[in-house]
Amino acid sequence: MDTTAEPIALPGASAREPHDQREHLMFDPRPRGEMNAMVMESMHKTSKKFWGVVIFLVLTVLFALLGAWAYMIAEGMGVTGLTRPEYWGIFIVDMVFWIGISHAGTFISALLRVMKYEIRRPFTRAAELMTTFGLIQAAICIFLHLGRVWLGYWLVPYPNGRAIWPNFHSPLMWDFMAITTYVIASTMYLFMPLIPDLAMARDRSTGWRKSLYRYLSLGFRGTEPEWKHLKTAMNIFAFAIIPVMFSVHTVVSWDFAMSTRPGWNSTIFGPYFVIGALHSGIAAVMIVIFMIRSTMKNMKYFIRPEHFEFLGKLSLIVSMTWAYFFFNDYLVPWYGGNKFEKLLLDFHSNGPFAYVWVTMLICNIVIPWLILWNKKWRSTPWVMLLVGIVINVGMWIERFIIIPVSLNITRMPFTWRVYKPSIEIPLTIGTFALFMLLYMLASRLIPLVPVWEVQEGQSAHILRKVGKAVIPTVSNVD
Amino acid sequence: MADTLTLLALFAEIDPSVSAIDKLHEMGITDEKLNVISGIPLNHDVLGRPNLRTFIPRLAMGGAMIGLVAALFLIFGIPGLYPLTVGGQPVFPFPPFLIVGFELTMLGLMGMAFLGLLLAGRLPSYEPKVYVPEISDGMIALVFSCPVEQQAQFEDALLSMGAEQVQPVEASTL
Repeated sequence: MDTTAEPIALPGASAREPHDQREHLMFDPRPRGEMNAMVMESMHKTSKKFWGVVIFLVLTVLFALLGAWAYMIAEGMGVTGLTRPEYWGIFIVDMVFWIGISHAGTFISALLRVMKYEIRRPFTRAAELMTTFGLIQAAICIFLHLGRVWLGYWLVPYPNGRAIWPNFHSPLMWDFMAITTYVIASTMYLFMPLIPDLAMARDRSTGWRKSLYRYLSLGFRGTEPEWKHLKTAMNIFAFAIIPVMFSVHTVVSWDFAMSTRPGWNSTIFGPYFVIGALHSGIAAVMIVIFMIRSTMKNMKYFIRPEHFEFLGKLSLIVSMTWAYFFFNDYLVPWYGGNKFEKLLLDFHSNGPFAYVWVTMLICNIVIPWLILWNKKWRSTPWVMLLVGIVINVGMWIERFIIIPVSLNITRMPFTWRVYKPSIEIPLTIGTFALFMLLYMLASRLIPLVPVWEVQEGQSAHILRKVGKAVIPTVSNVD
Repeated sequence: MADTLTLLALFAEIDPSVSAIDKLHEMGITDEKLNVISGIPLNHDVLGRPNLRTFIPRLAMGGAMIGLVAALFLIFGIPGLYPLTVGGQPVFPFPPFLIVGFELTMLGLMGMAFLGLLLAGRLPSYEPKVYVPEISDGMIALVFSCPVEQQAQFEDALLSMGAEQVQPVEASTL
């Protein structure tokens, strides 16, 4: 079915206006068969360079993640930089970071779907995939931190041999419940809108791919009842997963805030963590869609400057909100004058990690505010890639300051020391490599653009003439 | 030889397919006997077809209740079975229930919504079905059964309504 959103011929109107509308994906429709072919080609065509990067990442995962992890298991947690008073180090920093990354998938996909933001359509899948793979890294970080990882099943609420049940008074138990819920829900939420695209891939594949897509598409054809049930389930998920998303990072923040430790015991930590998660997550979406656009065939048609521009605006708002929460979280303890709180704040801004603290503010506030106000820069993909990387560096640092740096200063001065990570560094590199590896492999198997959603959006967009102006109009297709 | 056969008509655009549905109604094919298969979801209002009911929301609400009951068991049942006294804290704490209760309620709701999609859509289903790959290329297919002797009559009518192609089809493996 060809969509018909041709620009209106406008006698006497500026010739520039219809041309401008064509810059928007929703006003530049192509036949569905052509879009299918473009997406399938992007999945099938791989260069030697692609496989070279894959091999490099596999080796990195083998040595930096699995090798280092095996060494840590064999030698014990003593090989890490963790010791009194920093019992929580980079593993927890990484866990919070990856959970934060995972928030953008839900935010972009669910919230924008509920709010009927049409611009979301081509990159929801890329963001949802990021959620699932981000959560896998977060889970790995939890297991890294466990040390005796083979006893991880003790977290599961069933009686063990000693009849000790998990303590539901503990924020760590809440964390387990929240993350488990989010992993399961976001995986289902990724899969549901994927079914029609898997059916499309099934119709255009042969050999093992055909068998794989046939199995995964569950026999979907696109009948009226199938679409009706799919849309209903997706709507339920879109509404239900948003509060779950907010709850997950709030509960993660309570791992810290429920303690009486200076720097952690804050009533604002919940929303502060949530906004931080969105800050890093949206920046990560910018990075991911830049990589998809620049490395995969035909993706420039689907991922356009308008999408970077939109994410840039969103990122600017989130950056301002993050700054507001940061200031709030700083001002109240500073004003309160508690001795240990003031010591900690002074340690952050003037201690051995002062340069890290300043870098965080530059990355999370100064650079985004200097760049993202400008529409031209927001619409320039490589600029947005750099901003995305800078924000993620800043947000990783923020978690680093909150967790191990804040643990340096306790109420017992004889325990004060400066945290020096060791094996945590290769393990962190390993989780980043695994994330990239999973994403690259998924890009060969999963249509990263939800073609049916793009076509559905294009079919709902028309241009209409009001006076001498051409007005983009979208009808409600849901 | 069968008395009836299944015809599949392919349309490139929405409007002719909607007109064709009206024409089929006139020729005695009721909504119950007509299937519309498309590459994007088409609202029943667009097609002029009856709104299908779905039990997924009710199933999801049921799932939410199951999740809530599971949370009640975890928070109040477990400390009842194995009292865990932590300094100064109640054995049956209410605030943690709100957290665990919320998470499990939402998990139950979404889990059952997903299960509902599979049950209501009768998925997965790998048996042979009537389908042509052009549908995922954006074509709209009208599928219905008609008496063999009326095949030509239906084909002519649908082609005159703008069908790109009308063909007898049999179920095949997707």
